[in-house]
Amino acid sequence: MANTGWDEFEIGAMLRTFDGGIDDIAGTKQEDRSYTQNSSYTASVADWRLVKPVYNKDYCIDCQFCWVYCPDVSIISRDKKMIGVDMDHCKGCGICVEVCPTNPKSLLMFSEQADEETEIASWPSKDKGEE
Amino acid sequence: MSEIKKIKNLKEFSTSADRFEGANLLCPGCAHSIIVREVLNATNDDLILAASTGCLEVCTAVYPYTSWDASWIHIGFENGSTAVAGAEAMYKALKTKGRLKQPERTPKFVAFGGDGASYDIGFQWISGCMERNHDMMYIVLDNEVYANTGGQRSSSTPIGSSATTTPAGSISYGETKNKKDMMGIMAAHHIPYAAQVSPNKWKDMVKKIQKGFATEGAVFINAVSPCTTEWKFDPKNTMHLADLATDSLVFPLYEVIDGREYNITYRPKNIIPVEEYLAAQGRFKHLFKDEYKYLIKEWQERVDANWAYLQRREEAKV
Amino acid sequence: MAFDKMELNDIEVWDGNYAAAQALRQAQVDVVSAYPITPSTPIVEGYAKFKSDNFVEGEFVMVESEHAAMSGCIGAAAAGGRVATATSSQGLALMAETLYQASGMRLPIVLNLVNRALAAPLNVNGDHSDMYMVRDSGWIQFDAYCPQEAYDLNFIAFKVSEDHDVRIPAIVNQDGFMTSHTAQGVHTMDDDTAFGFVGVYKPMNDMLDFEHPVTHGVQTEEDWHFEHKARQHNDMMSIVPGKIDEAFAEFEKLTGRKYNHVESYDMDDADVAVVCMGTSVETAREVAKEMREKGVKAGVVGIRVVRPFPFMAVAEALKDVKAVAALDRSAPGGAAGMLFNEIAGALFNTDTKLLLSGYIYGLGGRDLTKAHLVELYNELQANADAGKLLTQQQQFIGVRGPKLAYL
Repeated sequence: MANTGWDEFEIGAMLRTFDGGIDDIAGTKQEDRSYTQNSSYTASVADWRLVKPVYNKDYCIDCQFCWVYCPDVSIISRDKKMIGVDMDHCKGCGICVEVCPTNPKSLLMFSEQADEETEIASWPSKDKGEE
Repeated sequence: MSEIKKIKNLKEFSTSADRFEGANLLCPGCAHSIIVREVLNATNDDLILAASTGCLEVCTAVYPYTSWDASWIHIGFENGSTAVAGAEAMYKALKTKGRLKQPERTPKFVAFGGDGASYDIGFQWISGCMERNHDMMYIVLDNEVYANTGGQRSSSTPIGSSATTTPAGSISYGETKNKKDMMGIMAAHHIPYAAQVSPNKWKDMVKKIQKGFATEGAVFINAVSPCTTEWKFDPKNTMHLADLATDSLVFPLYEVIDGREYNITYRPKNIIPVEEYLAAQGRFKHLFKDEYKYLIKEWQERVDANWAYLQRREEAKV
Repeated sequence: MAFDKMELNDIEVWDGNYAAAQALRQAQVDVVSAYPITPSTPIVEGYAKFKSDNFVEGEFVMVESEHAAMSGCIGAAAAGGRVATATSSQGLALMAETLYQASGMRLPIVLNLVNRALAAPLNVNGDHSDMYMVRDSGWIQFDAYCPQEAYDLNFIAFKVSEDHDVRIPAIVNQDGFMTSHTAQGVHTMDDDTAFGFVGVYKPMNDMLDFEHPVTHGVQTEEDWHFEHKARQHNDMMSIVPGKIDEAFAEFEKLTGRKYNHVESYDMDDADVAVVCMGTSVETAREVAKEMREKGVKAGVVGIRVVRPFPFMAVAEALKDVKAVAALDRSAPGGAAGMLFNEIAGALFNTDTKLLLSGYIYGLGGRDLTKAHLVELYNELQANADAGKLLTQQQQFIGVRGPKLAYL
């Protein structure tokens, strides 16, 4: 929409979230919704991040603390299971890591350039000091 | 009335399909969106939402993007409450006249505003909406400062906080006025339901929001929203700050029914000294100088007195 | 519960406020969100009474300020239904912020503006300061000169404002007290005919359509704001005039009462003319007839559609006139009056050589008498005879003290 002229958009600067109708939004997961290009779901804030969360499912207990406390709807949980992090919408705040209760944590922050597989391979072991 | 969404535990809650989207422009670690998600996910009913001008509004509806998956309106700084009240009035009118497109639906009307929009500039509008008892919920995202415009004091800013219009300096400890007791004022409207909530206590929050949604009439919610930018703490610590706020009893969690019946809904097992809450935030840094330490003592006394007051109100059962 | 219809006589004796209230009833407005202020209060009191007596089914929300009144109207209009309110003067000033928001969000709302002076000093009587204050707010503005027109123009306002190609809110002006509180004979429509003219409200971008969520009231900065405001202006200039024409034509067919963007009286062969609004039009018409008996070819031009301003129609109406007075009933605050400016703008690039002078009159409800107008027409005739302005371009009428003249 970057170069649209004055005659090329809805009056009143009104925006629509979805293409066509959607009967039960609260019962429709994001992947099953047809967002318009105006939904920020279709945008990315990945370039805000200096550090990123890496998820190691080996230690995850699916407690969903990261899901409920993520400010950016970036913890993808389906059927009560944590699936991963939505890296288009994660701003790298690190809350998910802070609220993760496992030992070692199932989410840790690394530099944006870090390689996920390498970091998982060298994941820290259980921290006895925190027990 | 619609069925209340079953949320027994966090796993069940996590099956919610969010109606608020990422890639909004809120700061990393902002508590506003955590609160918004907990509120929106507390129901499966349709939502008609409004926001007063402020962080939430300017970060979630900047053309050509919207972060809202339910109908949403913003008019100005002071009138998010009345915007939703107007929509609620139209809903009632069209229901009476049989002109609703989906008459079987049971929408919930919710307005969000910051403390600037609620305690200050929009105070009268909220009071009007509460007094008229519209079937709506007004939620304050209370970060105790005009964060969107860069940190000016509001009437929610507590004593000793350094704000840009009440900056701490060589002869000043910052804000000199008490935080306005908005819960007390709203309760005095004798609305059916008012509650203070915090995003760290998600279950308490969801329970209260659901109670609010099930209430016919006006509901007021004050939600503490730790602000990484203006409270000056690392964004990763947002929930830690919320824990400190609730467990130091600086933000006690309670509800007021019909303006009279007080229920404390969370009693911390270990009450944390207020000093720890203050120490975690840059806005109170100067209070730890020798000459201002008496303010920390006064802070503790104030919090203790308020807690005692709430407990007496609860016990009174009137 | 169905509402009751009201039996009306063909001609009722109504003041402007009651005429407007009856129009809101017959249009079956869904939500009235309002706050009382003199002299507009009886309009919303009227709606409230109709509701109490089961003549309307809509919601009446009596809010705590005019700002909240329009805020509620905006929320209700965005939700998707017919919305109206009324105010005057200070009330309009308080709701001014929201007027720009309503028009920018393209929400149809009808506002009955019962014109009253703006303080200070405080004054409850009629002048056009409030109408002028919001002239750039992006609202369509109609002007009624009598209770009949206050009634009729409400229907036309709903029809135009709610048209899906328009979706711009509309103000119906009437003079405080002189129209609002002066009872006259009003030709009525029966309830079905009246409602038939405006029709059932057709929602658009409505928040209450749960299957099509909309976001209203976004922020646009330097990369978008200009395009949106340009669109708003374009639609006002290009679409609204034609829609008003259609509504006027349809209304005439229905009632026999004809309205025009610019109302011309005795203008066919006029040498001198006054251009004015509100009840002054009727006074001027009477004086023009009397002047004609004295040999002065006098005419009157009334502005019916204040916004979008009918530049071409004004130029056409005045093209053969020799001397014209623009009568502005608002303190100009260091400039020429609004009508003077708009008329000058309408005429500037035309072939006319007419002499234009401006008069400030009637502030705070001060009477514009027939004697004032006789003197004014004589001045215009003198200008016309001399072929040049014999007075300064801006004068004040009916104010005590030394004569005021500028420019």
